[in-house]
Amino acid sequence: MRDLVLLAFIAAIVAMGFKRPFLWVLLYIYVDIVTPQKVGYGIITSISLSMLCFVAAFAGYILLDSKQGSRITLRQGLIVALLGWCAITTHFLADFPEEAASKWEWVWKSLVFAAFLPLTLRTRLRLEAAALIMVLSAASIIISAGIKTVLSGGGYGTLVSLVQDNSGLYEGSTLSTVAIAIIPLTVWVARHGTIFTERKLAMVFAAALVFAALLVPVGTQTRTGLICIAALGVLVLRSVKYRFVYAGLAGLALVVALPFLPASYTERMSTITEYQADESASTRVAVWAWTIDYVKANPLGGGFDSFLGNSFSYQTRTTVEEGNTERVVYQEVTDEGRAFHSAYFEVLGEQGFIGFAIWLALHGLGLWQMQRIRKRYADSEEADGKRWYALATALQNGHMVYLVGAAFVGVGYQPFMFMLLGLQIAFYSLMKREWAGEQVQNRPWLREQPVQGAPA
Amino acid sequence: MIDYFSIALTHGLILLACWRLLMRDDLDVEGAQNRPDPRPWLQQQAQQEQQEHGPDA
Repeated sequence: MRDLVLLAFIAAIVAMGFKRPFLWVLLYIYVDIVTPQKVGYGIITSISLSMLCFVAAFAGYILLDSKQGSRITLRQGLIVALLGWCAITTHFLADFPEEAASKWEWVWKSLVFAAFLPLTLRTRLRLEAAALIMVLSAASIIISAGIKTVLSGGGYGTLVSLVQDNSGLYEGSTLSTVAIAIIPLTVWVARHGTIFTERKLAMVFAAALVFAALLVPVGTQTRTGLICIAALGVLVLRSVKYRFVYAGLAGLALVVALPFLPASYTERMSTITEYQADESASTRVAVWAWTIDYVKANPLGGGFDSFLGNSFSYQTRTTVEEGNTERVVYQEVTDEGRAFHSAYFEVLGEQGFIGFAIWLALHGLGLWQMQRIRKRYADSEEADGKRWYALATALQNGHMVYLVGAAFVGVGYQPFMFMLLGLQIAFYSLMKREWAGEQVQNRPWLREQPVQGAPA
Repeated sequence: MIDYFSIALTHGLILLACWRLLMRDDLDVEGAQNRPDPRPWLQQQAQQEQQEHGPDA
C-alpha cells in the first residue's frame, strides 16, 4: 500500500514535469531527502529511484530547460574542485580502497547535485520552490519523529522515524542537526512564500513543524541537538526586536518544558559536562587527536573512511561511591576504527589539508555572501528587500547551526546540507543579477541605450 | 499510523505545491505574467474576463 501511494506520488510529479521539467529537480531533492525507496516495502525498494531522478533532473535541464540566467560561480567551482580532489583521494590515496569507494558512491552525487542545483534555480520562484520542497521533505521525517517523541518519549538509537535505518537523515544525530538547521528556512517559507499564500494556515503549520523539530533532539536523545538548539537560540537574538523579552521568554519556555522532558533525556544531557567519564565523549577527543597526528604524517589525507586505521588506548575517569567516600576509578579502554564524530576532522582526515581548505572556503564564503545580502537589505522598507533580508538571515542561521552541529557529527558531505549550500549559491547569484540590473537603472544618462543581453 | 499521517500530510502538500508551480509562468521566466493556456473553446469566457479585469488580469 505504502509502495503504491509513493509510486503514484512520484509518477504524478514525473508527469507534471513534462510541462515544467524543473519539477524533476524538485523530485530529486525529495527523493534524496526522504529516500522513498527505503520507506516502502515492495517493488519500490528494487528500483534505483535516486539514480533515475538524478538523470531526469539533469536531462530535463540540459535538453528541455532554458539556460537564461544560469551562471557558474566561484563556489560552484569550489564544489567541483572538492569533487575532483575527493576522486583523487578515493582512487589513488585511499588507505581502505573498498570502503572509500562505497562512500564515494553517494558523496559524488551529493557534490555534483550541489554544484548543479544553482544552475537550475535561475528565477525567484524556483529558489522558493526548492526551499519549500526541502522543508516539506524533511518535514515528513521530522513530523513523524516529533509525534512519536510526544507519545513514547523516544530514546537514544531507538526512535524510529519512517524507516528503521541508520544512514542519511535517518541517523539520530544527523536528523537532530538538520531538524534544527531547517527551522529558520521553515519560518521564511511560511512567512514570505508565494506558493502557499494562505498566510495564517502556513504559519500554524510552520509553528507545529518547528515544535516537532525541537522535539527531535529530545526524541533521539542526542547531545548535539541540544547544542544546536542553544546555537540557534543565540543566533535568533540578532534579528528579534525586543531581545530581553525574547531571552526571558526562551528561559521561561525552558523552565516550563523541563518537567515534561523524559528522565532518560535529562540524565543523558547532564553528561555533557562529564565528558571525562563518558566513553563516547572520550573517544571523540582521542580520535580528534589521532586525526591531527595522522594528517601531519599524511598531509594529502587518507581517502574516505581513513578513520578505520585508528587504534588507541585511553583512560576514562569515573567516581564510585563507597559508603561516605568517593573513589576515582581510572579504566583503560582500547578502541579501534572509531569514526570521526566531527565533520571538521572527518574532512581533514579524509581529504587532507587541500580538501579541508576547499571545504572551509566553501562554508566561509557562504556565510560571508549571506552577510553581504543582509547588510544590503538591513534597512530596506520595500517588501522585496525585507523578504531577501529574511532569506539571507534564515540561510545563514541554518548554516551556522549546521557548522556548530558538525563539530560533533560526521556530516561533512551531508547531501541535505550541500543542497542548502546550493540554495545559498543560487540566491547570491540571483541577488548579484538584481543589483547589476539596479545599477543599469540608476544611470539615467544611459537610458537611451538599449540594454539587450543584460540579465533579466 | 503516525508514519501514514506524516507521509499523507507532507506528500499532499508537496503535490499541491507542484500543481501550483505548474500554473505559474514565473517559474521559468523571471517576472512573467501568468497567462492561462490558450483554450479556444473558452474564448468567450476569456473575452468576458478581459472586459471585466482589463488586459493584464
